Amino acid sequence: MLYREAGQFKSTYGQDQQIFPILQDRVAVAALLVVAFVVVPLIGNQYWFSAILTPFLVFSLAALGLNILTGYAGQLSLGTAAFMAVGAFMAYNAVLRIPHMPILGAFVIGGLCAAAVGIVFGLPSLRIKGLYLAVATLACQFFVLWAINRVGWFSNYSSSGVITAQRIEILGYPIEHSRDKYLLTLVIVAMMALAAKNLMRSETGRAFMAIRDMDVAASVIGIPMMKTKLLAFAISSFYCGVAGALYAYCYLGTVEPEAFTLDLSFRVLFMIIIGGVGSILGSFLGAGFITLFPIFLNVLSRTAEATLGIEMSHAVVSNAEAMIFGGLIIFFLIVEPAGLARLWQIAKEKLRLWPFPH
Amino acid sequence: MILAVENVSLSFGGVKALQDVSFDVKEHEIRAIIGPNGAGKSSMLNVLNGVYHPQKGKIVFRDQEFRGMDPHRAASLGIARTFQNIALFKGMSVLDNVMSGRNLKMRCNFLQQALWVGPAKREELVHRRAVEEIIDFLEIQHVRRTPVGRLPYGLQKRVELARALAAEPALLLLDEPMAGMNLEEKQDMCRFVLDVNDHYGTTIVLIEHDMGVVMDISNRVVVLDYGRKIADGTPDEVRGNQKVIDAYLGVAHA
Amino acid sequence: MSFFIEVVAGGLLAGVMYSLVALGFVLIYKASGVFNFAQGSMVFFAALTFVSLTERGWNLWLALAVTLLAMVVVGIVIERTVLRPLVNQPPITLLMATIGLTFVLEGASQLMWGSQPHGLELGIPDVPIEWLSQKWNINISQFDLFAAFVAGVLVAILALLFQKTRIGRALRAVADDHQAALAVGIPLQHIWAIVWAVAGFVALVAGVMWGVRNGVQYALTFTALKALPVLILGGFESIAGAIVGGLIIGAGEKLAEVYLGPYVGGGIESWFAYVIALLFLLVRPEGLFGEKIIDRV
Repeated sequence: MLYREAGQFKSTYGQDQQIFPILQDRVAVAALLVVAFVVVPLIGNQYWFSAILTPFLVFSLAALGLNILTGYAGQLSLGTAAFMAVGAFMAYNAVLRIPHMPILGAFVIGGLCAAAVGIVFGLPSLRIKGLYLAVATLACQFFVLWAINRVGWFSNYSSSGVITAQRIEILGYPIEHSRDKYLLTLVIVAMMALAAKNLMRSETGRAFMAIRDMDVAASVIGIPMMKTKLLAFAISSFYCGVAGALYAYCYLGTVEPEAFTLDLSFRVLFMIIIGGVGSILGSFLGAGFITLFPIFLNVLSRTAEATLGIEMSHAVVSNAEAMIFGGLIIFFLIVEPAGLARLWQIAKEKLRLWPFPH
Repeated sequence: MILAVENVSLSFGGVKALQDVSFDVKEHEIRAIIGPNGAGKSSMLNVLNGVYHPQKGKIVFRDQEFRGMDPHRAASLGIARTFQNIALFKGMSVLDNVMSGRNLKMRCNFLQQALWVGPAKREELVHRRAVEEIIDFLEIQHVRRTPVGRLPYGLQKRVELARALAAEPALLLLDEPMAGMNLEEKQDMCRFVLDVNDHYGTTIVLIEHDMGVVMDISNRVVVLDYGRKIADGTPDEVRGNQKVIDAYLGVAHA
Repeated sequence: MSFFIEVVAGGLLAGVMYSLVALGFVLIYKASGVFNFAQGSMVFFAALTFVSLTERGWNLWLALAVTLLAMVVVGIVIERTVLRPLVNQPPITLLMATIGLTFVLEGASQLMWGSQPHGLELGIPDVPIEWLSQKWNINISQFDLFAAFVAGVLVAILALLFQKTRIGRALRAVADDHQAALAVGIPLQHIWAIVWAVAGFVALVAGVMWGVRNGVQYALTFTALKALPVLILGGFESIAGAIVGGLIIGAGEKLAEVYLGPYVGGGIESWFAYVIALLFLLVRPEGLFGEKIIDRV
């Protein structure tokens, strides 16, 4: 009843191609943006900003990056964490070594360096596919981490390899409070998400999907394989690199190479599997789910302790978390391989009919 | 003459797919390649398209000579094709599939596309308009947003034809466009092929098994058998050729 | 020169260990076309169960039998809950399902048995054999020889199974095409249950071997990842390839660490195997013993 498209006709192709063709969607998204940019900063507390919202946004960006490469372009990658690490460490070095480097410039440099690494380790994709390519990205993951650990230059020769993110200042205004970090992250992620959506609905996106679906046919109709695959790696790594830089500057504060292990790569992969491969919305849903889930489990275990008197050690909770994650992955793959994004779509379809059954 | 095939030979290891085949294709005509199974018809198309490289012989397309071509170059020269087992992008909608056929005409780089507003949007809308014309022409408007994987076989073939047409090709290669269709679908497809030739002036080379179709719509026919050319001429000339009859027209086909 | 031989020998023996894990992968891939990312956690689960039982005073053979039974049950459960619903899905989906499975198994193992590392004793000494080290300066222990022997026996049994028996043929048919196998009446579910059970057995053997050598701890799951370069070298479907690949990777890693390591600060072992695999892939994507994949349009 509320979600009817009746009366919404498109008279130009421009209107037909918009990101949110249905008026109700546009209203909802506008409301969401108002909440995110205005309401939340006013009513949120530090815990919410620093432990929930900012990491959610950072991981959404990383998931977006991986989705571009694996979801849209079909190139399986297990090196996400390595690209994030490059972004983080190179942004740090940019601020450290280039005088008067503005922080946003440093983020861009971090992203570009990650993109360069992505192109190098994406070169094998021209010859190998599928699982074999995943192994090549594993090589990237392990090698990059080793390099950052061994080569002192990256961590400014600190003995432990740990770097501390410098103070951020934008146009003289210091970004220190967690609310400000949240807003900075929000702005960056929102802009990059919009750019990603635009890219995926243009020729680039179609080329990526063509390579994913049938690359031989893609080259027959004129899509350049090498250029497209490397572009996918470059853009994806750029996104992951910026996410890594945000991870360091707006979330953790201090970063060590061990924060970017294979485990993190798998986490981001899980985000896109659960959220929905090949979907921008899915990246956000998956990241939200995986960021919130441990917190939810924690709360659950503490209420169980309080009400039922069951003692659950931290180890038990984290093992249970691992099992439930794994189980959810399998569950989603069986029931809805297209993830939460598809479930959302189905819900919207049902909403169009509501309150009628059919 | 838009295309000339001269003494092309192709073999895979010990298997000789094509032996010393020569024929030409006039501009704006509909040329059929027929022959029993295994005669080398698809291989011939693959050579024209650059998917296979012949060991001997050459191809002259629009006065340019090629020994080996690659698919990407063929596409940019204006050669488009459809496949026997549909080669559509199953994860994308009909509209996206056909739009992907326009990729060689798109000039904007990815940065402009990320921005969307401005040249990228304008370009996208221009090409959308062109693609919608083709969609109208092939009568697939009602499924334009459907993922291609969900369409029935006949419609998928039409979408593949649309994608090939989107490139505005000079030469269109059709690999068994009527395969697996019932009578009605075949009639529709014939009408579309003839319309394409009429309306856009595209030269068409097609492989087809259905003799009725071949005799009805083609201007000239090449007959292959075991990799060799055994006849070349108008449908009537070929129909009466004893060698062709011996090769496989022995039993009357509907 | 003898130092070189020692390094190579040490590498080869380490390689045998990799091969043992790789065999599990090959088994499942050969029989069902699924790349079982969870093999490493199966190794971990088997080793942990076995060592926890022996530490509680169980007899060695009894513990072995019970663990084997547990692995068989695990295999059957996996087949029923994960593989059956996902039959006919593209391989990438199955791969991701096994990644999820990895987490389930790891969590379950540690939930059941705790997460402290355990040492494992089999009664076979792991110190260099006297006369070998004194006469020829080579450090090989009885355990090394035992491991090589076990690997050899396993390979022989598996090769026989696949080549000579009716079940072996059925397994190969299933790996080629699930639907076709179903169409000719091969009982897919039984076959898969068998395969995963056997893979569980192989995992148990590998787990016990690794446990003696390196102790049973969480890091054991990462050995599975090391098996990937082995499989790339040897091909995903070749039992012989798993052995040869393992030996090459083992020796290559050790040599690189010893001879190249000092120039670049050490720690090469974490990535060298993958880089070898990567270079190999660029030249010969199907591995030493694998089959070429032809794309037809």
